[in-house]
Amino acid sequence: MNVRVLLIAPLLVGLLAGCVTNHQRYGWGTYDPSLYAYYKDPTKEAELAEALAAVISTADAHHAVVPPGIYAEYGYLRLQEGKNLAAVELFKQEEAHWPESKVFMDRMIKVASTPAATSTTK
Amino acid sequence: MNQIAKTFLFVSVLLLAACASAPKRYDYAHFRTEAPHSILVVPVTNKSVDVNAPDYFLATIATPLAERGYYVFPVNMVKSVLSDDGLSDANLVHAGDPHRLGELFGADAIMYISIERWDARYAVLSTAVTVELTYTLKSAHTGRELWSNQQHVVYQPQANGGGIAGLLANAIVAAMAKAAPNYMPLAHQANNGAINVKGTGLPAGPYDGLFGKDTSDY
Repeated sequence: MNVRVLLIAPLLVGLLAGCVTNHQRYGWGTYDPSLYAYYKDPTKEAELAEALAAVISTADAHHAVVPPGIYAEYGYLRLQEGKNLAAVELFKQEEAHWPESKVFMDRMIKVASTPAATSTTK
Repeated sequence: MNQIAKTFLFVSVLLLAACASAPKRYDYAHFRTEAPHSILVVPVTNKSVDVNAPDYFLATIATPLAERGYYVFPVNMVKSVLSDDGLSDANLVHAGDPHRLGELFGADAIMYISIERWDARYAVLSTAVTVELTYTLKSAHTGRELWSNQQHVVYQPQANGGGIAGLLANAIVAAMAKAAPNYMPLAHQANNGAINVKGTGLPAGPYDGLFGKDTSDY
């Protein structure tokens, strides 16, 4: 590995950070890399679910807001595992925290609450 | 040491130049009229030969949009639900009616992203990794374009150093970039350049204190 690259990299990161405000509104945990890893290797669904659960528990522990979409993503993975009750609970959380999601979540709650319909969502 | 300082200075100047350049300001008239609160990112279309690029890219886009202050629909769930509804073809989704999509999800705006380039070109002594993207935000209510942006990001790894050793080092770095090009930093950089630049980026969303108050910048 090139020593110069190692020396320069942190300085560049510092400079780039100067270009844009890098303030983080939410705690995302490892959401981005976990979703990437899941797309790279779909057998890593459990790891993605763990990462999503961690985002929620970390936010709860700090009385912080769970980022948009996270409850829903986690709920959808639960639904795919056949854990419909847990899924409905999470869809309701998404809706309670983010009213913009109401139409979509109501629809998904209906899907998760209708035994016959769940088979069409894998 | 001198070499390091020179390299650093050179790259710094490039970076600062990138910050300072002020491309033509986007016309935000429609955007301001609608002031969308929520963004539905639909599956990404792909003009590159890398079939995985749309999924990999999708893993980078929710975070910057949400951080800008918008409600962003769960990207992976949206992709799966569309697929279950027979809409796994991103080209079909993009060609479809934004109003219909908006009704299905209850979204204010739909984000259509197209991957124009996602490749690594190998030239023995240097590999150029390129990501080129087009972003278009359309109103789910009227179908009108609210915002658009294009990003072209290139990463050309260079091992600095002269002589034969330097050439060899360059060839090794290039070969490594070719073997396993890492597109993720480029995708993040493209998103940042599209969303977070004054005059051309996305105005602050409803969860940002500047929502509706940043009209002098956007």
